[in-house]
Amino acid sequence: MSVANTLIQRAPFFGRMFQIQENELNPVNSWPALMAMTSFVWLSIAAILGLSMPAIQLFDLGSHWYYQNITLHGAAMAFPFAFQLMVAMSLHRAGACLGKRADGILVALTYILMNVGALLLTVAVLMGFHVTYTVMFPLPVVGVMTGQWSMSALVLGFTGIAFVLISMILTYPIKILRMSFFEKKQEELQLAERSMKDPGMIGMVMGVLVLLVTGIPLLSIASPILLYLYGIIPAEWIAWAATPVVFEFIFYIFAHNLMEAMAIMIIGAVYATLPLCTADGSRRLYSDKIANLALWILLVTSLTSFFHHFFTMYPALPSTFAYHGNIMSYGTAIGGALTIFTILATIWKHGLVATPAVFLILGGFVMYILDGVTAIVISNVAWNFKLHGTVWAGGHAMSVLIAISMLWMGMLYYHYPLMTNRTIDDSTARKCIKYFFLSFVGLFYTFLAAGASGMPRRNANWEGDWLIYGALLGVFGTILIYSFYLYFASLRNSKALEF
Amino acid sequence: MVDFIYTGWGALVVTLLMQIPFLIIFFSIVNKKAFVDNTPAETPAEKYTSTRYLWIAIVLIAFFVVNFASVKYMPTVVEANTKMANVKDVDISATSWKFDMSERNFQVGDTVRFIAKSEDTMHSFALYHPDGELLFTMMLMPGLETASALVHTFDKPGIYMVRCLEYCGVNHHGMRSVITVAEK
Ligand code: HEM
Ligand SMILES: [Cu+2]
Repeated sequence: MSVANTLIQRAPFFGRMFQIQENELNPVNSWPALMAMTSFVWLSIAAILGLSMPAIQLFDLGSHWYYQNITLHGAAMAFPFAFQLMVAMSLHRAGACLGKRADGILVALTYILMNVGALLLTVAVLMGFHVTYTVMFPLPVVGVMTGQWSMSALVLGFTGIAFVLISMILTYPIKILRMSFFEKKQEELQLAERSMKDPGMIGMVMGVLVLLVTGIPLLSIASPILLYLYGIIPAEWIAWAATPVVFEFIFYIFAHNLMEAMAIMIIGAVYATLPLCTADGSRRLYSDKIANLALWILLVTSLTSFFHHFFTMYPALPSTFAYHGNIMSYGTAIGGALTIFTILATIWKHGLVATPAVFLILGGFVMYILDGVTAIVISNVAWNFKLHGTVWAGGHAMSVLIAISMLWMGMLYYHYPLMTNRTIDDSTARKCIKYFFLSFVGLFYTFLAAGASGMPRRNANWEGDWLIYGALLGVFGTILIYSFYLYFASLRNSKALEF
Repeated sequence: MVDFIYTGWGALVVTLLMQIPFLIIFFSIVNKKAFVDNTPAETPAEKYTSTRYLWIAIVLIAFFVVNFASVKYMPTVVEANTKMANVKDVDISATSWKFDMSERNFQVGDTVRFIAKSEDTMHSFALYHPDGELLFTMMLMPGLETASALVHTFDKPGIYMVRCLEYCGVNHHGMRSVITVAEK
């Protein structure tokens, strides 16, 4: 039995969600299933940590716990959950659409680096490395100098982050590119043929290219810093990389485009999947051309919109870059507007078959658009001075990730029979979607209202009205966790397909 | 009115103004085509094209209006509209976890330029109105030649909270201070 299948079978609770039989489709199914399963393990832990944050505030349990848990929650949700789920689903789709194997050394490396890296970072955070998932450079180093955490916690934490970054920037994108353009096609693996002109495939290739291109500069500055921390090279050699402004800009060029790459990839996936759910069986989008145009607009405008992370440095950030970032951010929304049009025109023209997969995908899409509005609002220079650093920004980061994950969870519903020869439990799935959507809307608007009122993000001392927002986050968070439980149950109670 | 739009709550109102029409249109189309009548629509091709142009035109106009109206609140324009001769410069140095300020007491009507630098890690200098509204936040990146700087005119007396809004370590929440503004 293959390694991936064995790991799935041995996993308590989660293993039952992905009962993969030994068969000739294992090369496209096993590793994606293992990755999706592992991402749900991280989701479960990180969700409890999310709920712990309002609890810590309401019961006054101490700032140490708050900063520890926000670091663990943010990092686990963004990387081993959301990103890993995307890796799983995109490998599966690339495999089944192109007839290529979604296993092998690069896939195994991606899996190991992502999860071992996230574990190392977790240990470092438990040792006191409370830097949040954006690292806030040069905080990791300043924290050692001021005795907030130890040098060994820093070295361990950076090692973990390096593992995670290598999987996101190198092994995974290279594997997708190899599958798209180079590896040998195996007819028996190709379940739903697609060409590289298909919006779904274009979105995937664009996404991984963005990761490679914007990620390599980050690896280039992170590697010497790591080598210095290991004591291999002297401090003078890394001054160029460790300058805060250098690190922060390269970090945000990557971090911003990471989110955009994840968005481009999932929008491509929606373009690929929605036509399969239309009522007239035409299996067509309203227009492939407009769909592709939207992806290109998203790609081009998002590359330089990262300046919006730095508006409030004025005048240290020259105004010309601020205006550029402002305009490009609104440019991404033109791509979003075209996407809305294509989705609705497709539904209007071809009708819709109402399955749980479709509703989870559409729910995720609605949230993605609602969140997009908050993103462009905060990308306006004037509003940014009022909202940057509030939970409006934190809520936006969290919501875009939940929306993207919700979309992939819908994709998983759709492809689940292909992956496991089983069908999900329909009634549990429908219940899950209701709770998922409503609690997400609740969390989302609570964050926005709190941000509008000026509540600071990443602040371990909520006071006055902020505690009311906190209580609401607790309530909606609990319901969201219940909906995750229902999601797991809908897979655990799946039934074997009858032929 | 326009002043309100470019506050935090104003941002929420504009956000809702964009979101609610989207939600109504999206859900009514999905409801119609999934539950009421999911047969293919007979809509002629030109109708799709004209709807598309109309939709993109609405989006472009909305984006143009919100950005154009905001120009007045951009820091360069605020400075251009301020009589710089009357401005009091206040130097601020931020270190984990305190603010050193060259002056903390002002009078209503004073126009102040806050010039701030960080000495160690990333911080911010955020000023809260006595009624709780966040007036602005300035990101302070260490190691830069140019300080962050913003001009503000005090309109009401009271105690103004100063907070750091960029996460800066285990006592980030403790990094705060106050500014007092007296009646003229
Ligand atoms: C299950 C219920 C959840 C609750 C109660 C919850 C709660 C929270 C809270 C209170 C914060 C911190 C706000 C702050 O102080 O700045 C936060 C941040 C965040 N959450 Fe969640 N969350 C939940 C689920 C999720 C999910 C599903 C994701 C991603 C898929 C996610 C991703 C994030 C991210 C990326 C941050 C930002 C961390 C940072 O600013 O350093 N959360 N969440
Ligand atoms: Cu600070």
